Amino acid sequence: MKRFLISLFHLLSFPALRLVLGVVVVVFSGAAALFGADTDEQTKAHSEVLDLAGAFQNDGFKLRDGTWYTQVSQGHPQTLQVNLYSGNAYWFSVADADNSTGLTLSVFDDHGNPVEVQSYQKDNKAAAGFSPDASGLYYVEVSSSAQAATTFCLIYSYK
Amino acid sequence: MSPPWKWLLPSIIAILAVEPSGAQRAGGGSPATPAASPLTQAELKAAVAIDSLTVPTPGEFFKAIDKTGKPNWVSQFRPPTPIGGVNRAQMALNLGTLIADGYIAVEAQDGQQVKNIGRDVLSLAKKLSVSDSVLARGKSITQFAEDGSWDQLNEELEATQNEVKKALEENRDTDLITLVSVGGWIRGTQVVTGLLVESYNPETAKLLRQPALVGYLRGKLDQLPAKIRQDKIVVKVNGDLKNIATLVSFPADHVPTADEVKTLNLASAKLTKEISAGE
Repeated sequence: MKRFLISLFHLLSFPALRLVLGVVVVVFSGAAALFGADTDEQTKAHSEVLDLAGAFQNDGFKLRDGTWYTQVSQGHPQTLQVNLYSGNAYWFSVADADNSTGLTLSVFDDHGNPVEVQSYQKDNKAAAGFSPDASGLYYVEVSSSAQAATTFCLIYSYK
Repeated sequence: MSPPWKWLLPSIIAILAVEPSGAQRAGGGSPATPAASPLTQAELKAAVAIDSLTVPTPGEFFKAIDKTGKPNWVSQFRPPTPIGGVNRAQMALNLGTLIADGYIAVEAQDGQQVKNIGRDVLSLAKKLSVSDSVLARGKSITQFAEDGSWDQLNEELEATQNEVKKALEENRDTDLITLVSVGGWIRGTQVVTGLLVESYNPETAKLLRQPALVGYLRGKLDQLPAKIRQDKIVVKVNGDLKNIATLVSFPADHVPTADEVKTLNLASAKLTKEISAGE
């Protein structure tokens, strides 16, 4: 449902229709997020991160179907392995369920050295944009400045 | 009828919610962030790998290739593959190769081929007892193929693959999930190297560097229960992947030569054929 609505959203250029569809996307995103999420926190985090990634989809980025849920707190970052292709552009998006502020995303090469990314951060959401020069393994790290552990959902899109 | 502001105001709020400034940043770019501290060996070791994000889809691989020229995707079609299957392990591997075929048909923008492959995917899924959950996906694939909605098809194929994996998990066939991913990766590698053999391009050749990915897939194969791990075709795949791993494990600054690409193409083509035949 979410995928279908976002496709429509992308296709339609009339502002009024986009406004109406905007409401529909928000209303239905909660239901769509039920898929793949096991807890209320995961469902909420998924819904939040899809709102953010929708912006990248509008810019031609394709959303991967997979999701990564886990918990993060200050001093306890979480890291995911991803295999990326040079030539592609990527946006990693993350959101948490508790509306905590201070989520950040960093990307590292296969030796663990940080790479420069384009960053976006607002409220309980963060994103990192990256275009690798070399194909291969990269690490995406989610950090939080919040003391309490919070459930987040990470997804990524590419073009 | 309610006054227009009653739906207009929430709509404006919704638009603001779904179109954050990230959209502009994605297109136009924002300043690069200062680099973080390097990860320690312990942090690298603790990094999580999950099938649905760590393993790229064939579509993601092919998208990178599209940027290096105009690949002749049609040349990489293969004759319809037998979907009988000698056992569940072989069927899972074959399913992965078929889903990769779907991505090739999407890249070639061949609606009929997409529909044919979609039908085969469903037939094979049925044999693996996961057809109910992917039936709706099959209908979507047909509809998108008829409409020529190629971007949506790309997403639908990944969703189908994940739906199959989810159904396998629900059926307590978790071990077969790895085989679906392995099958897709082998067929994807055969296709990319096939395009390179046809028309060598150093930029595309660089995309073949995937040491960690093959390592991850081999690691998953090693974790399979003995019964599946000792299956004839799985033994064959695992053995051949060891050889293939060396071919895709080169330094970041190395560009595979045409001969190296050809060697990799022969290895992946042979393995795809063996998966298809179940021998």
